[in-house]
Amino acid sequence: MARQFSVVGKRTTRIDAYERVTGQAKYTRDVQLPGMLYARVLRSPHPHARILSIDTSKAENLPGVRSVIHHKNAKVRWSSGSRTAKRFIFNNPVRYVGEPLAVVAATDPHIAEDALGLIEIKYEKLPYVLDAKEALKPGAPKVHPEGNVIPGRSRFAAPYEEEWGDLEQGFREADRTFEDTYITKHVNNAQLEPRVSVAKWEGGKLTVWASTQGISNCRRDIARELKLPMSKVRVICKYMGAGFGNKNQCQDLDLMAAVLAKVSGRPVTLEFTREDDFIGMHGRWASEQHYKVGVKKDGMITALEENSVTNMGAYRKSTGNLSGTGSYEVPNFEKVVTPVHTNTVVAANYRAPAGPQSVFGIASMLDQIAHELGINPLEMFLKNRIQLYDDEMPFSSNELEQCILQGAKKINWNERWHKPGATPGPKKHGIGMALGDFDFSLGLGSATIRVNRDGTAHVMVGVTDIGTGAKTTMAIIAAEALGLPLNQVQLTSGDTDVTPYSVGESGSRTTSYTGTAVIAAAEQVRKQIFQTAASQLKVKPEDLDLKDGLVFVKTDPSQNLPLKKALRRTRGFIGQATTNPRERMWDVAGKSFAAHFAEVEVDVLTGFTKVIRYVAAHDSGTIINRLSAESQVKGGVIQGIGMALTEELLIDRMTAIPLTPNYRDAKVPTHMEAPEVEVIFMDSFDPYGPFGAKVLGEFTIVPAVGAVANAIFNATGKRIKEIPITPDKILGSLLL
Amino acid sequence: MEKHPKGKGVSRREFLKGLSGGAVGAAAVSTGLLNPGRADAYPRELVGSASEQSLVNLKVNGRRYRLEVDHRQTLAEVLRDQLGLTGTKIGCNRGECGACTVIINGRNHYSCSQLAIWLEGKDILTIEGLAQGGKLDPLQKAFIEHDGPQCGFCTSGQIMAGKALLLRNSSPTEAQVKRALSGNLCRCGNYNREVAAVLAAAKAR
Repeated sequence: MARQFSVVGKRTTRIDAYERVTGQAKYTRDVQLPGMLYARVLRSPHPHARILSIDTSKAENLPGVRSVIHHKNAKVRWSSGSRTAKRFIFNNPVRYVGEPLAVVAATDPHIAEDALGLIEIKYEKLPYVLDAKEALKPGAPKVHPEGNVIPGRSRFAAPYEEEWGDLEQGFREADRTFEDTYITKHVNNAQLEPRVSVAKWEGGKLTVWASTQGISNCRRDIARELKLPMSKVRVICKYMGAGFGNKNQCQDLDLMAAVLAKVSGRPVTLEFTREDDFIGMHGRWASEQHYKVGVKKDGMITALEENSVTNMGAYRKSTGNLSGTGSYEVPNFEKVVTPVHTNTVVAANYRAPAGPQSVFGIASMLDQIAHELGINPLEMFLKNRIQLYDDEMPFSSNELEQCILQGAKKINWNERWHKPGATPGPKKHGIGMALGDFDFSLGLGSATIRVNRDGTAHVMVGVTDIGTGAKTTMAIIAAEALGLPLNQVQLTSGDTDVTPYSVGESGSRTTSYTGTAVIAAAEQVRKQIFQTAASQLKVKPEDLDLKDGLVFVKTDPSQNLPLKKALRRTRGFIGQATTNPRERMWDVAGKSFAAHFAEVEVDVLTGFTKVIRYVAAHDSGTIINRLSAESQVKGGVIQGIGMALTEELLIDRMTAIPLTPNYRDAKVPTHMEAPEVEVIFMDSFDPYGPFGAKVLGEFTIVPAVGAVANAIFNATGKRIKEIPITPDKILGSLLL
Repeated sequence: MEKHPKGKGVSRREFLKGLSGGAVGAAAVSTGLLNPGRADAYPRELVGSASEQSLVNLKVNGRRYRLEVDHRQTLAEVLRDQLGLTGTKIGCNRGECGACTVIINGRNHYSCSQLAIWLEGKDILTIEGLAQGGKLDPLQKAFIEHDGPQCGFCTSGQIMAGKALLLRNSSPTEAQVKRALSGNLCRCGNYNREVAAVLAAAKAR
């Protein structure tokens, strides 16, 4: 299947690794400008309250304080902060503990922090609701005047509904029917780089150094909210300390920093504290998932009905959907997911936003059904794996079966699997698996490539590398498409004044959207090169090829010219392309697939679970860079293990205050919890993706939670239906 | 630690003092949000006037500096804001994530949890001081080869923690590496790579 490539598909170290290991990489907070002010945010201590008055005079009198903004003097819309109800950078009433009340800019961050305590606010406390199910009851306190379920358009519908086949018929065909409910909690993205923005005005032009996943959409949003022409907004992000979905589009702090810089006449850096970052932004939506599944005696699904509720917190920044059932072939299907508002921290995009919590539910459900039918889970997952999209459309490529088979072989499933709870304690062994998938699409991308007369190339793309290795991926694609060695390719990224449009680094779309444009731009440059070289080699342009920096005649490679020589009488060439091959996939569906396998040891005396072995098998089409791709898988799995075993944003029911807004209490995995994650990529090639590639980075977390949960069941024989599966839950389950 | 009546007014200085005395009070840690915005919770003398300054002598990456520092400035802030050594990152500013790890007199420390005025005469090594004469340290090379950085924000800290380990144990086991780096979080979850890099660097000596 796999094609022969020169640069693609190798283990390539990152093109910016040197900068990252020497401390030279400049992240947003490392930007230091003369006269720069430092800003801090004051946040609401109440889950729902009307601000009756705000007095900032004492804060403003503190020496060093330059500007204070709040809902009275800075009424700026923040559209990407809410897809349904109207949201501003400061809102009145405030709707969750942690909602911004005011921002202070001062000559020193400590002074700004001190000033927050001098702001006097009078509130009228309003009734509030924290639980999604409670919020659905008639008479529940209303988070918004429109209510707690606000229907938006298309992806932001509420409730979100999907169906095909004939559900009732499907249940009639079933030999047995199973019903159960699974619960997942709000967990935080918790990326290491705190959210930060630096804003500077020069005349009428605004420059924002943003820690953003997408400079293009960030610029579009800032221009819209501040009513500026896009040409007067420049967004720069050269290095970015991750986001996992919570730094896409423009953030409230980008707008706050811009307003403060305007009113103070000085550059302003606004950095969230770690606590701000946990409660002032968003994490993954919690869910309560109810499933009814009809199966034949042999385990084949005949019908699947899902009715779930997701807790979106106070504003709807993202869909609130659940996607885990998409990995299975379901002939009769109905899904209703209701995203609900509550007076809690906002929930939105965190690495495959609708995925891992949903897979925990459905993969646990299927694992349990297999157990009750006396079927090996491997057989259950294998026979119910998805083969047609929505039960009708073929996939552009689908190696899910191979993922299951090769993963099972690698982890030695047939020998390691045993009856649930069968091994002796106190450290009981368990093995489990789960499937996952993620949409692969094509879409709008842009790239500019300049080939210099010395045979080197400059690639300009609007990507921001959030840690995925996107810069390196783009350079590899460019080198392969141009026919140059990688070290002859220089990449410029992350500056809207210089680089063309790129989709925000979300949905794992950079490789397929912008990568396709890079290939098209390279084709244009090659055409120009061949025009020039043809006369020198006395052949037709179409007879020529270029590889490893050598222009040669296809039929006789001994007739050749080094690129440098071919270009010596030119001033170099420029190729530009904007591609949108979306419609190319009109009759096929695109997905990447994975099967994950976990082995655990559950200590029945302490309730502590340790993941001892992990195998992740992925079909993502061609792997552009095996080194960083493996790292992506390893990292997604570790995040999934944290979500399965330890992580949860706890909210105090009496005060509505988040109790775990920091690394220690949020219990993100450390080196000590990380098993060696073994990664296998299927030898696959997708006919639609750039050089056969599909999507990878985002969905590597998707099957992980379900795989670990099923391994725990195999160890103890007890099904735990709520994550995180903490020691207290395990010990409790063993008492039953 | 006794209950603090000042709400958010627990200054960094007092908080760190508490830490150094070994008394970490969870109550004091979490008061940040419980009581913000209450002006009367902040005695006037505690705000705005805490900017006492002193001279401190530090050796950083082999160079001697005589610096005037604010008493509440941490080493991380002085390195970044005064010396421009921004390779040291601040991820949590509360002694949890390790992004700010530097080596002080041969041992790894969170520089966000060290006040600059405590460090008179100390010898400090940061990520910028690791390469010698333009030549990368073997550990830096190993981080490149093993894809140590994903987003890279924790990388300086991981490398400095790894370096401190290798200074005291030139051939650590995998378990020793994991333990030595366990105070350095990597949310990209790139732990396998970071451990592999430290082990490879130990071998390369």
